Amino acid sequence: MTFWNRRQLTMAALALTLGAYPAHAGAVLDRVTSAGTLKVATDANWAPQSFMNANNELDGFDVDVAKAIGKHLGVKVEFVTPGWDIITAGNWAGRWDMHVGSMTPTKKRAEIFDFPAVYYYTPAAVAVHKDSKAKTLADLDGKVVGATSTSTFEAYAKKDLTLDAAGAPAFEYKLNPKEVHSYENSTTAFDDLRLGDGVRLDAVVSSLPSILDAVKAGYPIKQVGEPVFYEPLAIAIEHGDPELSGKIADAVKAMKADGTLSKLSEKWYGQDYSKTN
Amino acid sequence: MLYPDTVEAEVLVHKLWFVATMFGIVLLVFMAFNMSGTGFAELMRPVIGEPSTSGLYGRFAIGFSIAVIFTLNVVLIGFAPLKLQIGIVWLELLLLFIAFFETFHLSLPFIREKLPFLISQGVVTTLYVSAISIVIASVIAVAGAVAKLSNNGFAYAIASFYTSFFRGLPLLMQVYLIYLGLPQLGFVINAVPAGILALSLCYGAYMTEIFRSGIQSIDRGQWEASRSMGFGFALTMRRIILPQALPVIIPPTGNQFISMLKDSSLVSVIGVWELMFLARTLGQKTFQHMEMLISAAVIYWMLSICLELIQSRIERHYARSKVR
Repeated sequence: MTFWNRRQLTMAALALTLGAYPAHAGAVLDRVTSAGTLKVATDANWAPQSFMNANNELDGFDVDVAKAIGKHLGVKVEFVTPGWDIITAGNWAGRWDMHVGSMTPTKKRAEIFDFPAVYYYTPAAVAVHKDSKAKTLADLDGKVVGATSTSTFEAYAKKDLTLDAAGAPAFEYKLNPKEVHSYENSTTAFDDLRLGDGVRLDAVVSSLPSILDAVKAGYPIKQVGEPVFYEPLAIAIEHGDPELSGKIADAVKAMKADGTLSKLSEKWYGQDYSKTN
Repeated sequence: MLYPDTVEAEVLVHKLWFVATMFGIVLLVFMAFNMSGTGFAELMRPVIGEPSTSGLYGRFAIGFSIAVIFTLNVVLIGFAPLKLQIGIVWLELLLLFIAFFETFHLSLPFIREKLPFLISQGVVTTLYVSAISIVIASVIAVAGAVAKLSNNGFAYAIASFYTSFFRGLPLLMQVYLIYLGLPQLGFVINAVPAGILALSLCYGAYMTEIFRSGIQSIDRGQWEASRSMGFGFALTMRRIILPQALPVIIPPTGNQFISMLKDSSLVSVIGVWELMFLARTLGQKTFQHMEMLISAAVIYWMLSICLELIQSRIERHYARSKVR
């Protein structure tokens, strides 16, 4: 008995390394409507988009958007919080139905996911220590820059960013770092930056809202230069359910039309990020 | 304890050469650091004047006083009986740690506010995930050890492949492989079972080796004597071999349990709201993650101490035969 279990497991692990089966195409929408709950994956560590609030519940812009979409579909919303790389690995296997976690639609990601709707745009900016002498982004040439690993910010710093979604504003690479350090999340990058100008990092590329949040929390950092690019952020679902995709797109369109998205953006960012500037 | 002989000798910390060396080292170490900005330098102000301008004399004076205090402390503790010595040294190290954490300027009200949730959600999840994994891992370990010692080629091959594979991969990778990989074979398992499976398989592999070495440490004469009395394999194992092997097995197994408790934090990557996950997320919005990380560290430590105490109790139970 134990031998069989173990052999099966070992074989399972082997099969994994040898090659993956295609994901099952399922009628996700049917499951959602019959269960009456929409399972939404989001990050628990990405304030102010999604985070744990004072009552130990998930809260934030993404969380509110997901709840509003649930209301449009007429179902309850339930959140799960797997790590970012678990979500982006794809192959969700029905563990959750939709991802509302500020994902940037790119061509590579579109091979794994459908992006029914872009629901807002975040300006990405560069932060430096407040003692830094850098006045413009050009002053950071040949310096050490930090960013969240596998994020668009890291891609931008490494000059490997593709923003090919419809309506993504054009951008150019203004940063020429010597080295790019990758971090688990933006907070750890800010923690390294706060140690002092050039101690571990000279600058961090992150979203403008998270930089402003860190400044508000007393981090000795400041924004330098203008936002480097505007990142379109979309809701992601797995391929294979055009009906769910259509429903989500309709819901987001309706929320844009009736001003719900603008209101939520004002609530969490103090600005309307739901349109391109 | 190593062999406690009855030769009368002066304790090490009362020998002059040792005390002098210790004094010299402490003096040099503290002279090497610039202590002029610390609270201790403030206390020395009547002797050295303004600390920041006191220069080499200031450094020497501060280092000298610390060395005197340190050496005196050690020599005095040397007079205390053994149990008291252990207690005092523990207490002093603990105070030093608390002083270290004090330098973070943590917000205690925030910790007090979050502690109930940290315990009711985080500690409970961590404990049940590790407890279930420990039980499964122990079962796997017994079976694996027997298989590795058997002369059945299949059993040996499977067991040694298993230990080699699961000891050879990082646990984090196993968590990913099981959580992301099993669904491709049609088994969709949730985060908690996936975490428990990964922990059990990984620790089962380590403990297989511990159990095997424990069983092998028993002299073959024991087997021969037992078989010659007509005992079968199972009875020999249960009545003769395992009772003698357990004292060998228990200390490393206790190690495994403690490290399992802490490694259970790896399942936070698949979104299980256990202690480590909450420690990383709760303070994030307000940038008070140091508070949460240190609280979680203290909780992990206290849980480990409980396991240590249990282990030492069991060890004492099995050491009865060695007491004179």
